Amino acid sequence: MNYDQLAELSRVLYFPTTLMLYLGGAFVYLYALTMGVGRQDQRERGVVLRRIGGVMAVAGVATHVAHEIARGIAQQRLPLGNMFEVTSLMALVGVLAGLFVLQFVRRRAELNGFVLLAGSLVLGMAMLMYADPGPLMPILDTWWRPFHVSLLVSAMGIFGTAFAFNGLYLLRDTAERSVTQAFDNAGSGGPGAAHTNDVKDLPERGSAADEEREQLQQYHAALRAGINPWKLSIGVFLGTSLVSWVWITAQDTLAAGFGRFFTVNLTLVVAALIARWFVPFLPSTSALDGLAHRLTAFAFVLWTVGVIAGAMWAEVSWGRFWGWDPKETGSFLTWIAYAGYLHARATHGLKGRNAAWIGVWAFVVLMGTYLIANYVVVGLHSYANL
Amino acid sequence: MTESLPPPQMNPPLPQRTRNTAHGFLIDSIQMGWRWLARMRTALYMLAASAVLNVVGTFVPQEPNVASTVARWRNGDAGPGVGVSRALDFFGAYDIYGSALFIALLLAIYLSLTACLVPRIRAYLRLVRHSVPPLIDKPSRVNSTVTFVTDTTQVDVIQTAKTVLGRHWRTRTADSTRAPQLAAERGLISREGGSLLFHVSFYVLLAAIIVGQLTSFEGQRGVVEGEAGFTDAAVSYWNYSPGRWFGEDQHDGWQLTLNQFDVDWVRNPTAPGAGQATVFRSHVTINPAAGEPYDAVIDSNKPLAIDGRRITQLDWGYALQVRVEIDGEVVHDGFIQPMLGDAGVYRGAVKAPSVNPDLGLDVFFYPYAPDDAAGRPVPTGAPWDEAPMLLFRQWRGDLQLGATQQTVNDLDTSQLTSEGGAYLRLGQQVQVGDAVITFVDLRRWVGYQVSSRPAIPALLAGALLLVSGLTIALYAYRRRVWVLTQLGPSANTTLVTLTGRAFHRPDAFIDEFADVAQQFAAACQARDLVWDSESNTPAAGT
Ligand code: HEM
Repeated sequence: MNYDQLAELSRVLYFPTTLMLYLGGAFVYLYALTMGVGRQDQRERGVVLRRIGGVMAVAGVATHVAHEIARGIAQQRLPLGNMFEVTSLMALVGVLAGLFVLQFVRRRAELNGFVLLAGSLVLGMAMLMYADPGPLMPILDTWWRPFHVSLLVSAMGIFGTAFAFNGLYLLRDTAERSVTQAFDNAGSGGPGAAHTNDVKDLPERGSAADEEREQLQQYHAALRAGINPWKLSIGVFLGTSLVSWVWITAQDTLAAGFGRFFTVNLTLVVAALIARWFVPFLPSTSALDGLAHRLTAFAFVLWTVGVIAGAMWAEVSWGRFWGWDPKETGSFLTWIAYAGYLHARATHGLKGRNAAWIGVWAFVVLMGTYLIANYVVVGLHSYANL
Repeated sequence: MTESLPPPQMNPPLPQRTRNTAHGFLIDSIQMGWRWLARMRTALYMLAASAVLNVVGTFVPQEPNVASTVARWRNGDAGPGVGVSRALDFFGAYDIYGSALFIALLLAIYLSLTACLVPRIRAYLRLVRHSVPPLIDKPSRVNSTVTFVTDTTQVDVIQTAKTVLGRHWRTRTADSTRAPQLAAERGLISREGGSLLFHVSFYVLLAAIIVGQLTSFEGQRGVVEGEAGFTDAAVSYWNYSPGRWFGEDQHDGWQLTLNQFDVDWVRNPTAPGAGQATVFRSHVTINPAAGEPYDAVIDSNKPLAIDGRRITQLDWGYALQVRVEIDGEVVHDGFIQPMLGDAGVYRGAVKAPSVNPDLGLDVFFYPYAPDDAAGRPVPTGAPWDEAPMLLFRQWRGDLQLGATQQTVNDLDTSQLTSEGGAYLRLGQQVQVGDAVITFVDLRRWVGYQVSSRPAIPALLAGALLLVSGLTIALYAYRRRVWVLTQLGPSANTTLVTLTGRAFHRPDAFIDEFADVAQQFAAACQARDLVWDSESNTPAAGT
């Protein structure tokens, strides 16, 4: 195959193939999540669905890897050279790590859908920065580069997955609080807020079953109602804007810039609303919090090593190991932000919601510095292929 | 012997003021301040503050990095205007990492770190020297628990437990006032030790950076292909920044000459990455202070090392040899090094103050300006020197050298009048007014940096400490298990209870505990195994 064919193949593998598989897998898994409760035959359908979702997820990862390989062959170098490639790999690592942890470490495969959804978002974001395969600037052509960049990109992907779980934690926690409060206000001993959805063995038939199902549905509705959709949408829109404004400045025309800005913002708003709908089916807050924390801790180690490797590379290439260039500043800032999260998580008074919020903000810092350092202030690390 | 306790409180309460004398007030204040510094929440605030300064450093151009942008912000040509710029200057925002604010904050962070580490290290030493896990009477509800019956004696069961648990657990047996019992703990010492190692590594890094600043040296110098190079000596460098402890006698006196500089690009305009450079490579000859000269290559990622000095390529450009003759007399003959500007045009200047009136050439250089069908050059933005063209405008009058600020590549034309211009191909000459201008030669120049950083190994050691400490702190989980024994239901049997508790990652502990329990039960040849279904055991978990 020649360059054009390979480039085309890698493009098709990426979009629509991988994106559709991730999105489809996410949809199937999330739908299966709603089947964890209810009658026996429904639960069995949930298991089947989950298997289908698993196949789609594996196929998606396979086509994603195939895309990276085809692209690498087409351009005769590792696909880690520009923002599209870095972001695409961030999605791949995030999905792989998330699926691995949920499937084999935490044994919470039912949550795979959220990982796939987050992966689809990052994958889609990478498409906003698409660049055709091409050669590398010579300054970037050294084994330091894959070492340094792949560490940071992996960390980014895992931070992204951790961010998703922090977000889900905050949603679930908000919902539970409002339900508890409502029952407290009513003064009645309603269903214990936390564990109603763990009641798995409902009677198969009969009026008692219907009644119980109805109660459950009421509880689910109450959980959802605990999160004000307008507040959520506006919050997500504004929060995303903190980062996505960069696209306004980075495009040739203002219209194109605003187009991207709104695409990104509205996509995330939709994702948040989908997550809100699934709030009743989420596991306990402590499980979500634990997932976010362990993923963050792992990514923090990767990030630390990656930054150190970057400093070593800079010493070799530029003759100075640290110069507060925008990317160096950004990576340091991110490091501080996540150190703040780990500290907050270890501090009693700050555990829980506060720590989760710091985790969310830390991810805003990560994405913000990543985009700003590439699009707005271009320093020595100018691999942004604008 | 003390029972092991968790590390000291992270946010200790502030002490109350107790003394009423002035002297006492001082002591109280210092004590309160110290205690405040030792709180982790204080550290969090400080980290947040340093993050804010970082943000400033990202958005405001930094003088050490982009001095020219800062200059334009200062005189209002770019950025938010002169007034804001003055305010930025007041806070040192143009050099945030050298500003008093940043250094004060850094100092405060290190003070806080010290205040928090002193009690932690003390407690840690106590822990390592004396501590043992506590004994219990019965398993708590949060524990994972399994019970079984075995035909061995209580003492033998404890002995078996010791061998099964192995070296990684710190164990303790009960004294004679209780039924035989084994308490074991792991993860406490390594976790807290890792955390301390991580935090202590900040001092190592700080020391390495400070010593590095003092002992390092950095110098920059440009060299034109084929011209005489430079000698490693303080006076040869155009930019020279030695650390305070770096003596000028530490230069070795080797010489570097640049024979050839290779640079190439992706030239096909439709190929991917069109216009990108693909190679930067210097072929140099080094003449060491002692020994024979030798040839060497410096690549973009492969600096040259000479006796602990590192030679890096920083930038490059074209060097144009331009000769100016008036009435047969050479008034200028030398290389100019024009700067790359917008759209691939290089701009530079020739200044000949020795004639009267002064002569100046405003030079535009196009590396690739091939002829069109009519034989006229068509400038392109391409960087390769396949069809070089030098375009100039000639000025006479007062160059105002020394009178106004101007770089070597700028003409101050306020006191000059134009005499017209012309373009030249390589080797051509042209007469403008009474001056004959010749484009004699085209070469390349390379800017090199020579640096010496003897503290790098210490810095790396600090980084290694940091990463290993961090990994241990995040991945050593604290667990306790107990083996409780009592006389069994029939003669010569023992009823054994194995119970355990996780202080971190309880979800992972469920499997770990099951593994230990199975090994232990097998080693005891257990009968009647009962997993406590109330607690965190595999039976209850799945
Ligand atoms: C300035 C005073 C500081 C204090 C009082 C402090 C205190 C602590 C304490 C008590 C822990 C242990 C938490 C636990 O047991 O889980 C901890 C962990 C940690 N600290 Fe600090 N720290 C300080 C500075 C820093 C700095 C400057 C950084 C780096 C940016 C940092 C990064 C971390 C990280 C990443 C952890 C997590 C590792 C772990 O959980 O043990 N700390 N810190």
